[in-house]
Amino acid sequence: MREALEQLRNQALEEVDRAATVADLDQVRVRTIGKKGALTQLLRGLGQVSADQRPLLGELANQVKEAFNQAFAARLEALKDSALEAQLTREGLDVTLSGRQRPPGGVHPITRALGEIGDIFQAMGFFTATGPEVESDWHNFEALNIPADHPAREMHDTFYLPPGPDGEKRVLRTHTSPVQIRVMEGSRPPLRVIAPGKVFRCDSDLTHTPMFHQVEGFMVDRNVHFGHLKGLLEAFLRRFFERDLPVRFRPSFFPFTEPSAEVDMGCLFCAGRGCRVCKGGGWLEVLGCGMIHPVVLGNVGIDRERFSGFAFGMGVERLAMLKYGINDLRTFYENDVRFLESHAGL
Amino acid sequence: MKLTYHWLQDHLDTRLSPGEIASRLTMAGLEVEAVVDLGAPLDKVQVGLLETVDPHPNADRLTLCRVRVGEERLTIVCGATNHRPGDRVAVARVGAQLPNGLTIRQGKIRGETSQGMLCSAQELGLASQSDGILILPADAQPGVPVARILGREDTLFEVNVTPNRGDCLGVRGIARDLAAVLEADLRPLAPRVAVDPAVAQRHPVAVLLEDPEGCPRYTGRVIEGVRVAPSPDWLRHRLEAVGLRSINNVVDVTNLLLLDLGQPLHAFDLDRLQPPVVVRRAWAGERLLTLDGMERPLTGAMTLIADAQRPLALGGIMGGAASGVTEATVTLFLESACFDPIRIARTGRQLSIVSDSRYRFERGVDPDGVGPALDRATELILALAGGRAGPVVVAESGALVQPAPIPFRHQRAIRLAGVQLSPEQTHGMLTRLGCQAVEVPGAGDGATRHYRPPSFRQDLRLEEDLIEEIVRLYGYDRVPSRMPEGPVDAQETDPARALADQVRSLLTGRGYLETINFAFVAAQRVRAFQPEVRPVALVNPLSEDQGVLRTLLTPGLMEAAQRNLSRGNTQLRLFELGRIFLPQEGGPPTESEHLAALLSGPLAARSWNRPDRAVDFFDLKGDLEAVWSGLRLPPATFRPGGPGFLHPGRKADILLGGESCGWIGQLHPSRQEAFDLAQPLLLLELELAPLVAARERGRCAPFISRFPAVARDFAFVVDDGLPAEELLNAIRQTERPLIRRVGLFDLYTGPHVPDGKKSLGVEVVFQSADRTLTDAEVQGLADAITSAIQQQFQATLRGG
Repeated sequence: MREALEQLRNQALEEVDRAATVADLDQVRVRTIGKKGALTQLLRGLGQVSADQRPLLGELANQVKEAFNQAFAARLEALKDSALEAQLTREGLDVTLSGRQRPPGGVHPITRALGEIGDIFQAMGFFTATGPEVESDWHNFEALNIPADHPAREMHDTFYLPPGPDGEKRVLRTHTSPVQIRVMEGSRPPLRVIAPGKVFRCDSDLTHTPMFHQVEGFMVDRNVHFGHLKGLLEAFLRRFFERDLPVRFRPSFFPFTEPSAEVDMGCLFCAGRGCRVCKGGGWLEVLGCGMIHPVVLGNVGIDRERFSGFAFGMGVERLAMLKYGINDLRTFYENDVRFLESHAGL
Repeated sequence: MKLTYHWLQDHLDTRLSPGEIASRLTMAGLEVEAVVDLGAPLDKVQVGLLETVDPHPNADRLTLCRVRVGEERLTIVCGATNHRPGDRVAVARVGAQLPNGLTIRQGKIRGETSQGMLCSAQELGLASQSDGILILPADAQPGVPVARILGREDTLFEVNVTPNRGDCLGVRGIARDLAAVLEADLRPLAPRVAVDPAVAQRHPVAVLLEDPEGCPRYTGRVIEGVRVAPSPDWLRHRLEAVGLRSINNVVDVTNLLLLDLGQPLHAFDLDRLQPPVVVRRAWAGERLLTLDGMERPLTGAMTLIADAQRPLALGGIMGGAASGVTEATVTLFLESACFDPIRIARTGRQLSIVSDSRYRFERGVDPDGVGPALDRATELILALAGGRAGPVVVAESGALVQPAPIPFRHQRAIRLAGVQLSPEQTHGMLTRLGCQAVEVPGAGDGATRHYRPPSFRQDLRLEEDLIEEIVRLYGYDRVPSRMPEGPVDAQETDPARALADQVRSLLTGRGYLETINFAFVAAQRVRAFQPEVRPVALVNPLSEDQGVLRTLLTPGLMEAAQRNLSRGNTQLRLFELGRIFLPQEGGPPTESEHLAALLSGPLAARSWNRPDRAVDFFDLKGDLEAVWSGLRLPPATFRPGGPGFLHPGRKADILLGGESCGWIGQLHPSRQEAFDLAQPLLLLELELAPLVAARERGRCAPFISRFPAVARDFAFVVDDGLPAEELLNAIRQTERPLIRRVGLFDLYTGPHVPDGKKSLGVEVVFQSADRTLTDAEVQGLADAITSAIQQQFQATLRGG
């Protein structure tokens, strides 16, 4: 009996090892410990064994069963693993195939530039204001110290609209500066404001489109001086272009600022040595600015003895062209999807 | 304003190089936009020494010359006869481009090689005509550029003079400003004229100033016995260098002084007018033939120079054709005057006359410069054309007063400028500019000084004007940069801007590209889309295509689509956020912020992993719904309807809170054909203000139950024409508190569904906020829904 048990153990363990599938293995289990299995049969014969042998053989039989169960479980696990592995191998994908694409969307490069400009000024405490695109002559010109017969009006190629019934002249705003007037008419210093938006001039050629974008900005407070204007705009240009380029302020003329300045930045493309973009001069004109003219402050009822301020204006197309490397102004308004995709922002 | 380096040096003694001058002018506010080396075109024309001159072996009239240019020896064939061995000549070498446009190439002339050309003065642009080739002085060094020998090396500056600086519209004005910057001295201007009083007796000319407002100062004088002739080379060259054509010695002198002193002058042929000279307003109906050959209708708002009989010239703008100087002129009446800038601007604009004279008077000409300019012009005319000058006739109004003193507070100036300067320094700067410190009785408070600006600086009126001058002379680049001080507050965001930004990011996240289109369109386009709208027209559009302000964004977006389709870009997902302009009775147009989107072409690029399919109505609607839920707006409803340019069966009004805020649909197939579009377009456009307002009304907190939800499916067979949304809404109404969601999962027509009917598969999700629903409860709810729908829509349950 003992021998039979040991032989059974060896045979069963061997069969477990040899089982190639879960089904084979299960047959081994049925043959060994099933109701009619070999071990079950052997155990039935235990009753005929002498009483002193019975505990020993019973003990042995349990060990055989235990050993079988362990081997069975281990084998089952191994077979399941390899079956799973085989299945997963069959399910494998060609991972080099492209994924399901969604077409790339994006905002217009002008919106992208406006966003970048706005973020920088917002971080410096500037509030964003907007105004109408159809403006009164007063807001667009008179209040900004540009009287009707002044040659400065020739700097603006103005689109006119039919006058109102009250004779009030209306124009498509030629700059975003009228927002400066509207804000100052409605609120008191301290003020830090930017006014982004569309502007219009009746001019169309390689370097002009009849509609374009500007960001006007201004600050009014006590003791604001020309050095503050310089500091702020230098900081802006450094952040916007992400480079530490030389910046130069030179005297210029705008009717609504005094002193007025034109701001040049060292050419991004030739580091000031002179190239086609900067027309050989090494400088790029990027901004106009100045201290707010006393007549303008007077027009909105701000006491020029108590407060002073500065204002600046920039062409968004120009900044976007320089920053994103766009070389044809007109492409902004052709809206070719290939252009939009390649220069789009998020 | 153009000027040359040598011309500037006539007024200012400076050793600065042209490049340095350009940069100092620019940094002083006189931006030099271009610096041109005038000698450069003649770079390859060099002094040559004629070593031998032999007859050409194959041509009688030609010579074969050996010329030494520097170290090189060239063979040149020449047709002239005035050259001898040992002469210094001007050799245009191979590659040289002459002012007349001729480019020199190596070539063979009658079998002999010629390596250049010996030039005449005319060919070099040095004279209007010349005989033979130019023989240079005997001390000219072979190889040296001819331009240097001839003094033609000069540099042209193009200065952008801002509208406030009328004083710099003459070379002397620029020199004067530069002198102040450099702390240098201007050369004196002291014309000497020998006046012959007898001239006035022979030619008495009185001036009657009847329009002192339009012309505060008028001066003139008679010059008799002049000989009108071509100008000498120096004068011709000077005018040509700045782009003017030489006419004759008298006219050239007036043009020269306009450029030199910024004072427009006019010379009348005295024999062609009948004194006195009258400065008056034109009479309505008067006409004048101006120098440019145009007949000008005049009005009473214009200042006219007339004689006893008829108009002679448009004062300060342009002379008349009938009284100007001609070859035959022997007696001149030379005018130097000062006109009112506003009068000049209005007249010039009204008649559309652009002239150098108008340009200067509009910007303010120095009233005290009138006299010196007249004298200087007389001096030059006498020197170039001969003759005798009469005394100056002056007519002026009492209106010309000295400019008022400007109060100036040193402390305020340096505070606004952000610089540290002493009172002596600011005083020195203002003095250098020609301002005079004056005592103003009763105004002295110690801290305020008063300065009278010079007569030529009519732009200086306010304290700030003087402050600008101080910063300018000090140098903008020397002002220390500082960051502004003061508290910085967190800024609130405008809800409309915030919404627009979110719409942008939702749409771009779904693959849309933002476009920006012009705000003006063709009136015809507006009519095609909205025949009932009268758009706001521009008074002066650039073209008819951009004649009116847009009343919808869609036409612009469609133009962008057309352009893309014509370039082969077929997969289009576009949108625009922008304003439209609607006319408003008695006021400015209403500006309203809109969103428009356009979807067309394949849903995606062809790919192995998805069926090819063109986009349809529900793609665009799905994108809109995604934007809607992304914005957390109350649900929109869609009602069949919308504008006439859309497909009648595929369009809907978009309703928010029961009010229409826009529409969505497919472009009408006949429109698609009319616009020559190869593929259908899906369009939507809506107004943003209602969306902003709906959000402002507040958001409700989302409901999240912790009890299980139970879903039941229904299949209702209803009339084909029934909008599904009506049925879904009816279900929502039935058992409101316990229905969490109602959705359509199937739409079917075909076998097993009768003709004219459709089957709608609806999933209803039930959930309670405070308990688990029992099966019996759910069954009760489902039965209630079934019977309500059966009743309301004569629906049957499919398969039931």
